[in-house]
Amino acid sequence: MRELANLHEDVGEILLTEEEISAKVRELGARISADYAGRRITLVSVLKGSLPFMADLMRAIDIPVRIDLMEVSSYGGSATESSGLVRILKDLSASIADEEVLIVEDIIDTGLTLNYLIRYLRGKAPASLRICTLLDKPARRLVEIPVDYTGFTIPDQFVVGYGLDYGELYRNLRYVGVLKPEVYSEVRAEADGE
Amino acid sequence: MSEPAHVANTPFAHASEAEMSRILDFYAVRWEYEPDTFPILWNLDGDVVESFSPDFYLPDLDLYLEMTTLRQRLVRKKNRKLRRLRELYPDLNVKLFYARDFRALMLKYGKLALFEGLSGSSGQVASPYGVPELATDGPLDLDLPGTADPPVASPSRRRRRAAKADPATKGPAILS
Repeated sequence: MRELANLHEDVGEILLTEEEISAKVRELGARISADYAGRRITLVSVLKGSLPFMADLMRAIDIPVRIDLMEVSSYGGSATESSGLVRILKDLSASIADEEVLIVEDIIDTGLTLNYLIRYLRGKAPASLRICTLLDKPARRLVEIPVDYTGFTIPDQFVVGYGLDYGELYRNLRYVGVLKPEVYSEVRAEADGE
Repeated sequence: MSEPAHVANTPFAHASEAEMSRILDFYAVRWEYEPDTFPILWNLDGDVVESFSPDFYLPDLDLYLEMTTLRQRLVRKKNRKLRRLRELYPDLNVKLFYARDFRALMLKYGKLALFEGLSGSSGQVASPYGVPELATDGPLDLDLPGTADPPVASPSRRRRRAAKADPATKGPAILS
């Protein structure tokens, strides 16, 4: 079992500090509150990576807010071998028909998952559907998706922390960082139980 | 579980392309493999001497995707061909997917070992469901002058290829 101290040591570079993230979340919350003033908004978060961002963002918004959570299977997981298709592991718990919906993402890179989610959620007839992401990695984009609220545009590096994982670890870091290259194989081997 | 027929029956030139097709399938993004060939160089007689067949066309996104995962020499060649393609066909939406992009995808999906297994190889057309099959030796980028004629996969593909790469249609006389 890896200790927290090791998790910090595994990070080769801190891209975004806790203070920078906190300030940006407050800024996004203020913008969203102004844009949706006088209306109620439903924040839809995609598990698991966006959980810390969702928790902080909803408290930075000062208009009426509903929240809901979704989880979809990721390529390369066990679901891949069984079906070969993305699956909704956890669906919305309430209707979003005629609601103002804001998808809250931790990071957008290829856009493949978000593209799937947008198509799925549009089928539920929301009044509006917009996107807020803490991190945007446009260099990696395959599907061009208009993003309404972006926290940080980051370089083309694999990042962990503030909800983002590698091998299900590092989500609890309060900052966003880049792992040392030698960590990848070690963490993956532990996650696979080797 | 066996490989879906439309993947198994597609003559991918490289395992990275097969893996990309599975990723696109997973996220319900429709794809066609090398459906179109675009002439990019003609001789003085106006005959096509070089063409470019992007690996994938994603009809829902109107996007061509070219993957290049191995040797830098081939990357430079593809970059040159891509520049030429964009000059001649400015309305095409083409994205070049480099080795680092593929590596990042594999890292994200916990399949780094697959990338590392491919790196430096001549490109095994690997199936996640079975034993990898060795690809033929030689360059991976098969878009060589006079040989850009990938296998035909569908009638729609044949129609587009005929429209865009009809040898009877003479292009501008351009020498390399």
